[in-house]
Amino acid sequence: MNYLTRQEVATWLDKLAQEQTLIAPIDVAGNILYRPVQDTRNVQWDFIRSFMSVKEVFFPPTERLMLIEKLGLEVKITETLPEEKSIIFGVRPCDARGLLTMDSLFIDTEPVDPYYARRRENTTIIGLACQSLGPSCFCTSVGGAPDDPTGMDIMLTASGGGYAAEIITEKGAQISQRFQVFDGLSEIRPHPSSARKQELKIPPKEVWPAKFNDDYWAELAERCLSCRICAYLCPSCRCFDVRDEVLPGDNGQNESERVRCWDSCNGIPYRRVAGGHNPRFMKNQRLRNRFFCKFYYFPLHYGPVSCTGCGRCIDACPVNVDITEVLEYVGRRQP
Amino acid sequence: MTDKTDTNPMLPYLGKLVEVKDIATEIKLFRVEMQNGGGEAFHHYKPGQFAFVSALGVGEAPFGIANIPKNGDNMLDFAINRLGSVTTELHGLGVGDMVGVRGPMGNGFPMEKFTGKNLVIIGGGIGGAPLRPVIQSVMANRGDYGHFQILWAARNPSLLVFTDEYDEWRSTPDTELHLTVDQADSTWNHGVGLITQLLERVAPSPENTITITCGPPIMIHFVNRVLVDKLGFMPEQNYVTLEARMHCGIGKCGRCNLGTKLICVDGPVFSMAEVGALLESFL
Repeated sequence: MNYLTRQEVATWLDKLAQEQTLIAPIDVAGNILYRPVQDTRNVQWDFIRSFMSVKEVFFPPTERLMLIEKLGLEVKITETLPEEKSIIFGVRPCDARGLLTMDSLFIDTEPVDPYYARRRENTTIIGLACQSLGPSCFCTSVGGAPDDPTGMDIMLTASGGGYAAEIITEKGAQISQRFQVFDGLSEIRPHPSSARKQELKIPPKEVWPAKFNDDYWAELAERCLSCRICAYLCPSCRCFDVRDEVLPGDNGQNESERVRCWDSCNGIPYRRVAGGHNPRFMKNQRLRNRFFCKFYYFPLHYGPVSCTGCGRCIDACPVNVDITEVLEYVGRRQP
Repeated sequence: MTDKTDTNPMLPYLGKLVEVKDIATEIKLFRVEMQNGGGEAFHHYKPGQFAFVSALGVGEAPFGIANIPKNGDNMLDFAINRLGSVTTELHGLGVGDMVGVRGPMGNGFPMEKFTGKNLVIIGGGIGGAPLRPVIQSVMANRGDYGHFQILWAARNPSLLVFTDEYDEWRSTPDTELHLTVDQADSTWNHGVGLITQLLERVAPSPENTITITCGPPIMIHFVNRVLVDKLGFMPEQNYVTLEARMHCGIGKCGRCNLGTKLICVDGPVFSMAEVGALLESFL
C-alpha cells in the first residue's frame, strides 16, 4: 500500500500527461465529463459520479472505422484503428465494472472488435473509490461496491487529505514505477451508505420470460418519450449504427469515412427495415426490450448483466422511468 | 485496393460490378467479382447466407447472396430492391464500379438435412433472392432431393424476379413451377391471388417434405398457418429466412435481436418451430 498526498497525485498525473494523453473528469458547463487535459489544474477530485460514463472513452459516441477514398474507378479503403495511448484518471467503480460488461461482448466473444480492444489495450485506468453514494446509486445490488477495484489498473482511495494507492494490474504497476511512493496507512476502505435502505434483489434470468406479455410494459411505456437518454448515459449499453459520411473539404467528393455511432433500442427506427416493417413499432415493445436485454438477453449471450447500478438512467429520465422499480416489479412473486 | 486484414471484421473486401441488370421494377441483379483476396472468403458458403454490400460513401446493408459458389469464379449475385439510401446509391452504379462486400454471414439453410426429402420453395417478391441459391443448389444436385415444387409470387407481374430463369427451372426433372400475382395485367396468363391461395391449390403433401419460405413477414406468417392448419405440416418442417435491420452481422451491434436470438448469427434461417418458441414475434 502506498500513500500519496493530493499534491503528489497531481504531480504524478502531470508527469504522466507529458508522456501519454491524460483523460480526467472536468467540469464542462456544469457537467462532470471525462476529457483529455494538458495537466491536472482543472481536474475534479470530489464528485459523486460523472454525467457521462467512461464508456465514451473506449466506445466513442461517433468513431471512424475506416477511410474510403475514390480515385476514378479505383477505391482505397484504409482501416483507422485508434493508436493513442492514454491514462484515464478518476474512474468510478461502477464505470470500471461497466467496461467488463463491454469486454464480454467486444473482446471475450469472437470475433474481437479491434477498435474497442485497441482502446482497452492502450488505456490505463486509475480508479477512484467512492466516498459517498448518490441517491440513485445501487451498485451493490448488481455485484459492485464503492471500493470495488474490478476493471481498474490502480485504485485510489481518499483518506486524510491524501490517497491510498492500490496497484491492481501489471499495467498499473508500469505507470506507478515512475514516482516515489512511501508506505503509509494500513488498508482504508470506504463504506458509504446509499439512500437505498435495502439491497435490491436482481431477478435471475429464469424469471424474465414469464413477464414478457405483462400489461406492465404498456403502463410503463405510456410516459416513455423514446428519447434514448438512458442508453446514451448507460455504461453498458452498446448498440450501434454504421454509416458513411462524406468528408468536408476540397476532396469532399472523393473521400468519405465509415463511422459507427451509438444507437438505442428505444428509438423507433431501431428495428425498422427498408420496406417499412417494424416488429417493435410500439413504445412498450421497445422499452421492454431495454430491460429484457440488460437482465435476460445480454447475460444469456455474453455472461454478465448489462447494468452496473450507476443510477444515471434514473436521474436523467425526464419521465421517471426507474430501473430499480422495474427490477422490483419483475422480481415480485406472482400473487 | 484494400488493406483488409483478417483481424478487422468491419472492413469490407472490394468487389467490381461486372454485370448490372434490371430484373423487375426497381429491382436489379448485380454480379460482383470479388477483388484481391476477397474471393477466397466466398469460395464456400451455404444457400441462405448473406453479405453486407457497401455503396461506398453512403453505407452498407445486408443482402441474401443470390447464387451458389462456382469453383472459384469469385462471383457473387445480389438482387437488390431500391428502397433506401444504400440501395438507391447501388442502383446508380454500373459495370466497372466498385462496391464493398463483407461476409459470408449467418447460418444458411441446412441443405444436408434436406437430402432425400421433397422440397417446396415459397417465394414472395424480392424474398425470392435468398431462395435462388437453394433452387440452384437443388438443380446442381438434383439426385439428392425428391419432388421439387417452386411457388413464386409477387404483387404484380412486373415485380416477379428471375423471370428469364423460369424455363430452366421448369425443365429440371421432377420440378414444378407455380406462379401467382395479387394483381394481373393484360399479359398475365398464370394464376391470380395470394400465395396462400396458390399454396392451398397446389396442396403439397407433408409426407417427407420440407418447405422453405421467404417473403414479407405477414406472408411468412400466413403461409405457415396454411401449411400447418390446412395441409398438415409440422412447424419443424417449415424453414424461413428472416430479415432485420443490422449494422455488423457478427453479433455485436445489437440491432437484429428477436427475443433471445440474434438474426445475424443465430439466423437468418429458422424453422417455424424455432420461431414459434421465441419470446418475441417477428411480425
